[in-house]
Amino acid sequence: MNKRIPLALFALGTAVVLTTACTPAPKENKIAPNPGASVSGTVELWHFFTEREADAIDQVIKDFEASHPNIKVTVKSGQDDSKVTQAIGAGNGPDIGLSYSTDIVGKFCSSGAWVNLNPYINRDQVDLNQLNATTRSYTEYDGKRCAMPFLADAYGMYYNKDMFAKAGIAGPPKTLDELTEDAKKLTVKNPDGSLKTVGFLPLSDFYENAPAHLAPATGAKWLTADGKSAVGTDANWKTLLTWEKNLIDWYGFDKLTKFRAGLGDEFSADNAFQKGQVAINIDAEYRLAFLKDQSPNLKYGVAPIPTADPARYGGGYVTGNIMGISKNAKNPEAAWELIKYLTTNDAAVTKLANLIKNVPTTQKSIADPTLNGDADFKTFIDIFNNPNSSTTPPSASGPAYQETFQQFVNNYQAGKVKDLDAALADADKQINSVMTLGG
Amino acid sequence: MTAVRLRRNLTILSFLAPALIGIAVFFVYPLISAVYFSLTKFDLLSVPQWVGLANYKRMADDPFLLQSVRNTLWMVVVFVPVRIIGAVGLAMLLTNLRRGASFFRTVFYLPALVPPVAATIAFVYLLKPGTGPVDHFLEKIGIDGPLWFNSPTWAKPSLVLLGLWAIGDLMVIFLAAVLGVPESLYEAASLDGANAWHKFRSITLPSIQPVILFAAVTGVIYTLQYFDQAAVAGSIASGQATTGAGISQSFGYPEGSTFTYPLWLYTVGFRYNALGYANALAVALFLVAFVVTLFLLRRAKAFSGEES
Amino acid sequence: MTAAVLDVPSEPIVQPEPGRRNRRQGRLAWIAQHSIAIVLAIMFVTPVVYLVLLSLMTSNQALTSDYWPNTWHPENYVKVFQATPMPRYLLNTVIYAVTSTVLTLASSVPAAYALAKLKFRGRNALFLVIICVMMLPPQVVTVPLYLMWARYHLTGSLAPLIIPALFGDAFCIFLLRQFLLTIPSEYLDAARVDGCGEWRTLLRVVLPMAKPGIAAAGLFQFFFCWNDYYGPLLYTSENEKAWTLTLGLASFRTVHHIDWNLVTAATVLAMAPLIIIFFFAQRAFVQGITLTGFKG
Repeated sequence: MNKRIPLALFALGTAVVLTTACTPAPKENKIAPNPGASVSGTVELWHFFTEREADAIDQVIKDFEASHPNIKVTVKSGQDDSKVTQAIGAGNGPDIGLSYSTDIVGKFCSSGAWVNLNPYINRDQVDLNQLNATTRSYTEYDGKRCAMPFLADAYGMYYNKDMFAKAGIAGPPKTLDELTEDAKKLTVKNPDGSLKTVGFLPLSDFYENAPAHLAPATGAKWLTADGKSAVGTDANWKTLLTWEKNLIDWYGFDKLTKFRAGLGDEFSADNAFQKGQVAINIDAEYRLAFLKDQSPNLKYGVAPIPTADPARYGGGYVTGNIMGISKNAKNPEAAWELIKYLTTNDAAVTKLANLIKNVPTTQKSIADPTLNGDADFKTFIDIFNNPNSSTTPPSASGPAYQETFQQFVNNYQAGKVKDLDAALADADKQINSVMTLGG
Repeated sequence: MTAVRLRRNLTILSFLAPALIGIAVFFVYPLISAVYFSLTKFDLLSVPQWVGLANYKRMADDPFLLQSVRNTLWMVVVFVPVRIIGAVGLAMLLTNLRRGASFFRTVFYLPALVPPVAATIAFVYLLKPGTGPVDHFLEKIGIDGPLWFNSPTWAKPSLVLLGLWAIGDLMVIFLAAVLGVPESLYEAASLDGANAWHKFRSITLPSIQPVILFAAVTGVIYTLQYFDQAAVAGSIASGQATTGAGISQSFGYPEGSTFTYPLWLYTVGFRYNALGYANALAVALFLVAFVVTLFLLRRAKAFSGEES
Repeated sequence: MTAAVLDVPSEPIVQPEPGRRNRRQGRLAWIAQHSIAIVLAIMFVTPVVYLVLLSLMTSNQALTSDYWPNTWHPENYVKVFQATPMPRYLLNTVIYAVTSTVLTLASSVPAAYALAKLKFRGRNALFLVIICVMMLPPQVVTVPLYLMWARYHLTGSLAPLIIPALFGDAFCIFLLRQFLLTIPSEYLDAARVDGCGEWRTLLRVVLPMAKPGIAAAGLFQFFFCWNDYYGPLLYTSENEKAWTLTLGLASFRTVHHIDWNLVTAATVLAMAPLIIIFFFAQRAFVQGITLTGFKG
């Protein structure tokens, strides 16, 4: 076989590599010492929202432009995390990225893809204490604050009041044991033994039952102080998992999977809770809008998730959207003005929260009477404020630890694990391994 | 080199030039990049750091690798032959139909025109246990249907079913091949008293062998990269919301049965920021595809240029 | 030249057996084949019908597992045009699909011909390399390519999608090579003896004979580009003016909600031209198969 052609191709390919492959070196971001020194220019903002939520953001941005006449904002919607990552990696990128999850904080902060905001915060004397502590924790990593919290989600428990009344249950369960009792009472079986209605569906990969959302029930911690997996060492995980497994065993795993297979999509009008097939369901405040729109006749109540220890009751899982300035920003000062406005200006945050129906993050906006006027929404605000609430800590490998553990829990619930203690220790090893696959 | 020789070489070069440039830029360059990045710690946002063979060594510690390999291998071993047999069968059926051949051809091809994601979602809903139309139909005739995309044992076969439904593109190629077999060969066999099956086995099949080879090689290569439908089916069947690329947080639903190698490659590279490791996985996949293809080509003596 | 020798038949070539003895068997076989075909046709068409039914539902009903619309909403098709600039997406899609197909064929046919019919050293190695092009997983290929295009400031346009078509496509080259292999060398030798150079031979003698293969490759490429989602997503998503239909489809989705009825309506609209093209192309394609056909 002739070697010349492959060699020629190789040479040509290498030439292409040498002319195009390098990642650009990070720019040094010098910030102006004088704040508000007639900041002007254009700022480009990328986010993932579309339709109604995108319209809401556009409205508030118009307010910003009105109060900052020298700054013009261009918004690109429908851009997800991987698009932002790619753009920044290629040396382009928006001035501001708005991400719908906290997964990227670890990587963006540690790599400098989003710039350190502390110089701006200190210079402009922004009081970070007006932001809820949990939101502060998911917008910084390893001591670097590279993001500000946009709007938040708080998770609680929805329950079907009609079904509760029929089963003679007075109020929502507050402890895990009560939840088990109520779930059993509310369950209805078909004549052939299959499940017709389920009180609480304990499968971990069902709807919003992810381990992260249930962790506050026992105060389980994900990571140790040095960023390694804690699921094998924190006994609270074992408590949570065994509680869930006992309930699964009572239902019967196969019956439960069969029942679950026939349920509707989480975000469709066929949502199992909205259709009355599941009496108790874990979900966040955005579910309220869906219930109003798709199931107006459903009588539901909202409460914090039940806990193992009554002293911990009142909290829940909290997460949110985050914003940061990319290192390739053409106009970092103007970008900072916009971020400051969207995340710390109480009027703006309140308006956004009212339009998008997510939880606002500043102290004053949290106290907004319109939001608190809705009793159900107020429950979520209370959950958000509760000191027992927790979030998933940022990590350089994004959601790796959560998803690896999810697979473990799925296997455990399917009955594939014999010795839980040993398996949890093994899970620690697996999670640590997956978190460090990137080196 | 003589003038004639030179002219001849230049002519050949003129035929090959665009393809050669294409290969250099769109294959060799990414291949070199992939190999290079596989030897680094890389997350797209920082400068790559050299780590040598560390990424390849990490594969031994990867708790998800084995399952993803098993799932992808299963797909290759089952999906590729089933599709080829199905496509040849349909092509033969179409050649034997006289009336309405046009109509049937269009109908059989139609599903291949549906975008894969829409097709997968439609299939998952059609096969939905309990509430989907297929299960309703099975109930009426007294069969207790499987859980299809919700069953760990039936999820991959359901994906094969989806692939069979969308078989139009492969079918058309085989149709062209089968229709091109000279009539004279069949006539001669008729005189010898051969029946339809004999004719198929000893005339049709050998005649379309180059196309079967093409289908096998491209089938293996693309099934090794099977991603979209598995990811979408798993997340739609689980009923959960999706994060980017149509994958839900609990990937591979149910019980990891739809968790393919490319899905893991994508997850670990683009969601867990281990792009160096992902490139190592890609290089490994490339090597496997290369070995299998070489084996298939050698076996079919494809290099002689006159396969028969 | 020699093309006149090749007659174009108007019926599929395989004929049923003549003779009385076979007529009963022939009849049974006919019934069996047609029944199977009808059953298969129903199975093939059902999911597509389901998609059409979905497109006529309300948004709320579309995500449930109902398959019959409670209320009929043909205005969804109009909504699709109002919600997004479909004509622009259509134009971009047509530009992408047509130019890519034409350029791909123009660059792939000569390469396939060289691989099939011209002898040169390194031919087998090159053939293997071309197949290898398909073996790198796209997730990994896109990163360096995206970096390259970004460096030349071509992202946000259709250019990164169309320019590669100038340089051949591995799948098409492989397919065309297999089809071209079956053209008997006698025709080529005759042309060469007549004094035709290789290019002349390709254009005057081979192309007419290779029409079905070229049509098949062309259809593939066209439909692939038309339905391509990840390519446009990667390279044009930052510039809405360059979006194709597939990206337009995805815009009916918000973070927590998807207007599945509009997505399916847009999908049906996007598929319609393809169905029409295929219906007409397949007749020409089947009829274009020559007597010498695809032997060996």
